Amino acid sequence: MKQYDVIVIGGGHNGLVAAAYLALAGRSVLVLERRPRVGGAAVTEEIFPGFKFSMFSYVVSLLRPEIIRDLDLPRHGLHILPLESTVTPMENGDHLAAWADHDETRRELYRHSPRDAEAYDEYGRLMHFMAQAVKPILSMVPPDPTSFAPGDLAGLLKLGKHFRGLGAERLHALVKLMTMSSADFLDEWFETDVLKATKSASGIIGTFLGPRSPGTAYVLLHHYMGELDGVFRAWGFAKGGTGAVSEAIASAARSFGAEIRCDAPVARVIVKHGRVSGVALEHGDEVRADIVVSSLDPRRTFLQLLEAKDLPSDFVSDIKRFKFRGSSGKVNLALDALPTFTCMPDGGSAGSRLHRGAVSISPSLDYVERAYDDAKYGEFSRRPYMDIVFPSMIDPGMAPPGKHVMSIFVQYAPYNVNGGWTDAKREAFGDAVVNTVENFAPGFKSLILHRQVITPLDIERITGLSEGNIFAGELALHQLFFLRPAPGWAKFATPVRGFYQCGSGTHPGGGIMGASGRLGAMTVLKNGR
Amino acid sequence: MSYDAIIIGAGANGLVTAHSLARAGKRVLVVEREEKPDPALDIGWVPSQVVRELNLDRQGLRVSRPDPWIAAPLAGGGTLELWCDMARSVEAIRRISPADASRWPDFCARIHTLATILERLYVVPPPDIESRNPRELARIAGLGLYARRLGKQAIIDLARVLPMSIAELLDDWFESDALKGVLGALGVWHLKQGPRSGGTAFNFLHHHVGSPLGVFRPPLSNITAVLLSMPGVEIRRGQKAMTVHGRDGRLRGVVLGPSGDTIDAPLVVSSADPRATFEHLKQDLDPEFVRAIDNIKCRGVVATGTLEWQGPTSFKQLCIAPSLEYLERAYDAAKYGRDSERPYVELRAEEGEGEGEGGGRIHVHVQYVPFTGGGSHDDRRRALKAAVVGVAAPHAPEVRTAAERLRLTLPDEPELTEGHLYHGELTLDQILFMRPVPGWSRYRTPINGLYLCGSGTHPGGAIPGAAGRNAAREIL
Repeated sequence: MKQYDVIVIGGGHNGLVAAAYLALAGRSVLVLERRPRVGGAAVTEEIFPGFKFSMFSYVVSLLRPEIIRDLDLPRHGLHILPLESTVTPMENGDHLAAWADHDETRRELYRHSPRDAEAYDEYGRLMHFMAQAVKPILSMVPPDPTSFAPGDLAGLLKLGKHFRGLGAERLHALVKLMTMSSADFLDEWFETDVLKATKSASGIIGTFLGPRSPGTAYVLLHHYMGELDGVFRAWGFAKGGTGAVSEAIASAARSFGAEIRCDAPVARVIVKHGRVSGVALEHGDEVRADIVVSSLDPRRTFLQLLEAKDLPSDFVSDIKRFKFRGSSGKVNLALDALPTFTCMPDGGSAGSRLHRGAVSISPSLDYVERAYDDAKYGEFSRRPYMDIVFPSMIDPGMAPPGKHVMSIFVQYAPYNVNGGWTDAKREAFGDAVVNTVENFAPGFKSLILHRQVITPLDIERITGLSEGNIFAGELALHQLFFLRPAPGWAKFATPVRGFYQCGSGTHPGGGIMGASGRLGAMTVLKNGR
Repeated sequence: MSYDAIIIGAGANGLVTAHSLARAGKRVLVVEREEKPDPALDIGWVPSQVVRELNLDRQGLRVSRPDPWIAAPLAGGGTLELWCDMARSVEAIRRISPADASRWPDFCARIHTLATILERLYVVPPPDIESRNPRELARIAGLGLYARRLGKQAIIDLARVLPMSIAELLDDWFESDALKGVLGALGVWHLKQGPRSGGTAFNFLHHHVGSPLGVFRPPLSNITAVLLSMPGVEIRRGQKAMTVHGRDGRLRGVVLGPSGDTIDAPLVVSSADPRATFEHLKQDLDPEFVRAIDNIKCRGVVATGTLEWQGPTSFKQLCIAPSLEYLERAYDAAKYGRDSERPYVELRAEEGEGEGEGGGRIHVHVQYVPFTGGGSHDDRRRALKAAVVGVAAPHAPEVRTAAERLRLTLPDEPELTEGHLYHGELTLDQILFMRPVPGWSRYRTPINGLYLCGSGTHPGGAIPGAAGRNAAREIL
């Protein structure tokens, strides 16, 4: 039986990033992926003949630039196409648009509120600065504030210095971003409701919170940390869908010598005398390695792959308490033609600018808040918040000529829906989504050729993400940094010797960022064995 | 007549500052808007430092807390009563949930430890994290060490609990809706948030500071009445004070209304809320500071009321918040500017003071009743009263029989900015060095000689005298 230095469980983007870094450092690495293809929640699939979809995660921005550089991803086929604009249709038939051209965006804002147009630049500068200020933390192993170990104290001191270096005003802004609701934070800057609504929407993504609930301003900031070619807050598609990101990382990993095995579900991690010795596959084979790294979420990593007796009981209860509460769904549509949005004069004609960017269904703060109210009491939003894109407009290869694909990210769809998710409920959810879009784009429904509706339960079933949480654990303040996934165990090591974690459920988590995978690999390399 | 210091507002904080300054030899005048003192008791923990320094014990300070500290009607009939005595509470909880009863002592202990950390922070000025002064840095390090000495678990709990929602915290520990409703209500006290909103666990801790283990309602006291009765400061009632400053930005004193008198003083300390204090000064202040003041969130959501009542009552303190979901639904209405149709109501029997007022009365707390800033109050009050009677009458015969004597005050009515009793919500972005506004947490203001000492400053509402004492110490 072949012996590897390291086995990585899960071929999602973090698992692949970890494998690539470990292979690059000369380790023999085996990646074990349960599904027939790599990518986890970053996959492209041809769901209907000729129509390809980024099934789950659909935009790229947060992928760390050092990873793109270190792994030379462009050479392995990574090509990002910019997604330049966001149009928010309003309930009165008007719209709010943010364009790639800064002056044009200002003029558009001015139309709604001269005051907000003035504030917009200053706001942008502040958020840019804050994102820069937080960035070093993303590439840092979180120090443990309860420890007196020299490494931890040095880390804390470094953090303290870093934050004081920001200066008073920005430090205060950071405290506000960490603690406020996105609605309150935006209220301090803007008066136009639709502007606040569409901006606050990035604060609720993946959370089980409404825009008026404290904690959402942090998620807002998290989504500002994207960086593409050095341009901040630029979102884009990967050519060929998000699956292409995973394929590029996998290709890089293979080029460094890593072996990737698909259709290879891991049943459990083998622990002997408190130390890992390999993994057992579901079909019975065992593979040996001195080091095993799990990129699965914390619940699966610790409660499914291991037995409770292998772990301290306090740690097990901390992991049990880690919150997932998936709240998002996805609707993927194959379209005969592009829909006509009535909020803009040229919102319909094929190839209009609207279709080249995102369409945000977030017409007012109350609208988004009400969408949350439904979810609080266990129903999917009757009129949900949606982020709509038409990838085939930018990447024609995604659909047959003349046809289009439409990707709709939908919130809220609670994992624990009243009565549970059934086929009928899934379709009712899909109906709510298309009916809501129909309000803004009459005639849209008649263009639908195929429809795929994905509930949080489907996300869990297909990708393995517990409760369908797209961040592998909520991005709530009490689940971040040295608390992610559990106090004392946020430094990628685990209570089992030789067993490491590197998924989005560890610091910094969330989005196609890859930072967790990279930090996990670094920790393995630093610890030697 | 000239004074060394003028204090605006004769509430507990203003009076503590006034007496502290007077004890340091200053001639102090207190100016109060209201003609008559409010006979209601003060709600909240009076820090022992305040009691000791002003000898309040000897002046007749009485601190009381109902026992049982809360009674909550149960869905299937009967009442859950929680007592100051831990064993008795455990017994009561056991009747509705043995699992919850077994976790109660541990929960109380963990929460109490966190509250003691806050307590330590509340009786001193907030840490100045930007300071380069070695003494201040040493003080901050001392606070850190203090927390560290309480153990690893305390630090983890603090980091984890503060940003949490009270619903998540309680769901981690308990299963009984009635118990979670009683505790959850304290998490949303005077907050325009529901129990599922982040930061409500902090609000819960804040209101537990100073209370004994296992008691989750603040105590009552007559501190304002005691301070009013103490000699040493002069009080002028029925006058609104506005600060006056010269062109050089230096404070001159105050002008009173309606009398029109101008009183000179080198020092003015306002216990009024920060937004009201600076309202007429805006044109002379740095726009950034004005923006920060305008951004103070103080959205009132509580209507208070009284029900005159002779004789004994069927309860001491009655909480009608049967579950977290009930609280959350009550909050939903307020989000969209409406009063809760089924509000969270808490009734407290206040015994007569025996000072010619005759009988006692029942104090009523109604949430959520959002500040709306206008409109006719009569219809609204009628509807709200019907809602209060609707939810409270089945459990409180007093409300049933004397509904017509119920008097409610909407948050739109008192002269407080947006009707918020605490002069600023107790959310994580508005506490410690962020209160009242970032960078000005040390009771000073950009106007030389003008200080703040009200609950809009650290440590905030429901701790009568704490801000007043901290401010006086900063001034001296």
